Amino acid sequence: MKKAGSLPIKVALYGMDSRSHKTMELYLKGPCRGVAMAVDETQAEIDIIDADFATAGEILAQRREQTPERPIVLLSLQPLRVENTHFVQKPVNAEQLTSVLQKLKAEITALKQPRPEQQVQASPAETSGQDSVVGDGAASAKPVATAASGDQPKKAKKRVVFEDNEGGYAAFLGTLSNIDFNNPEQLRNASFDPRVYFLGFVLSAYKVACHENRALQLNSIWKPLLIFPKTRQIWLDADDKQLRAFAGVEQTKSFASNIKLVAIDAETAKQGKAVDKFQDMDVFVWKLTIWTSKGRYPVGLELDQPVYLKQWPNFTRLLLTPDALRLAALLLQEPRAPLDLIKVLNVKPQYVFALISACQSLGILAKSQRRVDQIVVPEPPKQQSKKKGLLSRILQKLLAD
Amino acid sequence: MSHYKIIFTGPVGAGKTTAINSISDIPTVKTDAAASDMTKNRKASTTVAMDYGVMNLDGGEKVHLYGTPGQERFDFMWDILTTGGIGLILLLDNTRADPFQDMRFFLDAFDKFIRSTAVTIGVTQMDLSNTPTIADYHIQLEKMSIKPPVFAVDAREHNDVSLLVQSLLYSLDPGLQGE
Repeated sequence: MKKAGSLPIKVALYGMDSRSHKTMELYLKGPCRGVAMAVDETQAEIDIIDADFATAGEILAQRREQTPERPIVLLSLQPLRVENTHFVQKPVNAEQLTSVLQKLKAEITALKQPRPEQQVQASPAETSGQDSVVGDGAASAKPVATAASGDQPKKAKKRVVFEDNEGGYAAFLGTLSNIDFNNPEQLRNASFDPRVYFLGFVLSAYKVACHENRALQLNSIWKPLLIFPKTRQIWLDADDKQLRAFAGVEQTKSFASNIKLVAIDAETAKQGKAVDKFQDMDVFVWKLTIWTSKGRYPVGLELDQPVYLKQWPNFTRLLLTPDALRLAALLLQEPRAPLDLIKVLNVKPQYVFALISACQSLGILAKSQRRVDQIVVPEPPKQQSKKKGLLSRILQKLLAD
Repeated sequence: MSHYKIIFTGPVGAGKTTAINSISDIPTVKTDAAASDMTKNRKASTTVAMDYGVMNLDGGEKVHLYGTPGQERFDFMWDILTTGGIGLILLLDNTRADPFQDMRFFLDAFDKFIRSTAVTIGVTQMDLSNTPTIADYHIQLEKMSIKPPVFAVDAREHNDVSLLVQSLLYSLDPGLQGE
């Protein structure tokens, strides 16, 4: 059951880079339904430490010294037993984390009440009676793929958390505004050619890898990208922030001349690779396209020609752009011209173009060949107003939660 | 007051109870009992009548969330539960021997209801078994000439279940706006 609203618990996050920190902030806000909020260490009620971080042991010692009364939650891939700490195993489960935080909050509240006989007792189920070093070897090491791990290194397959849509998207979908689609110059600026971006090289390489049914490595002046067509995975030693920055850079001829595609042995190539750098190919291509598109449409797409979706994108695992579900639903029902979509659903052009670009990269966008679709523009389906009102209220409720 | 319903269905262990729990505003009312037939190989207890949850909307309206019993011998309940329903959420367990057969069975069983409303499919346990893929499901569905949303879901995740329901609503009316 969803949790009733109450004041969020103030937590400080340690041992996380800026991306992990942001992800955890959003995780607390989204999947954990706002049970806690990340704050500065001076305001926190609870400390959360990523025990798999290289210097987690030092951080723990420091926190104990500076705020000995403050409860500490350790997150780790490996089960840990550290005295006077509370443990949550990764991948972090929202319910488990919420439960631990709420329990600690209740203990803190009880402690603040004037009942001197009551003392904070760590839960025997969650707190070890033994002292030990954080991350005893294996725990502190980043997980890597081994030959024994097979074709599918386990990894989190959750959708990229991106809850603050408008603010977040503005960074990469906000380049277009009030375009006059009758103005050829403005229209040209609203398009992009995937072939002159990293995206184009990735799509070509993936096509070749699938066609030849063998793993390939795409070498460039940037980081090498490993493509595993059998498992539909890629491996890239770059975080999303780096990828997003690189995706938007138009590549020069010298970049293209330095591109090399080499065959690799999939099993050998996977050995020793950090497991968290493996990504589902569709998830990778989807976000790479959105970050390349920046709200522009791919060249070759005619804005007044109807297109449709062959299938729904797997939205629970993809970077979700604003209005994506509505746009997909309409394009699944009938072919629509991109310009028509903007008008019918009254959405920003960049939201339409980003979705269409990503769907095209995944190969699920098709141009309608039917002449009738170019002549007759169907009215959007209309529900009876009473039912429409109900559906809107349900939607509003889901979006608010 | 009108009785609005969203129906969750699917085979035993697909996550219907958990999914309802993820978006319900009340603790899910369960009617679990010890499994007595072949179900016991998958779950110690299973839903024998229905699961029930509620979404409270602004203005005091409620949307009732019903989970059908997974065992086929309780299929007499299905017609009763779907009457007046807004749409169907079909959850499929990717670790089952033949999830396509499950999908065909449930789509066929609820065919009349789906034709008058809409269906969205959530595939669970994909972290344990990554095949068939979501693309494979779409290939099967194409043979059945339908194009419902098919998402990989973790029934414990509010966001996943929420997106499933949202896609159901948009399938019914893409013009909807969440204000």
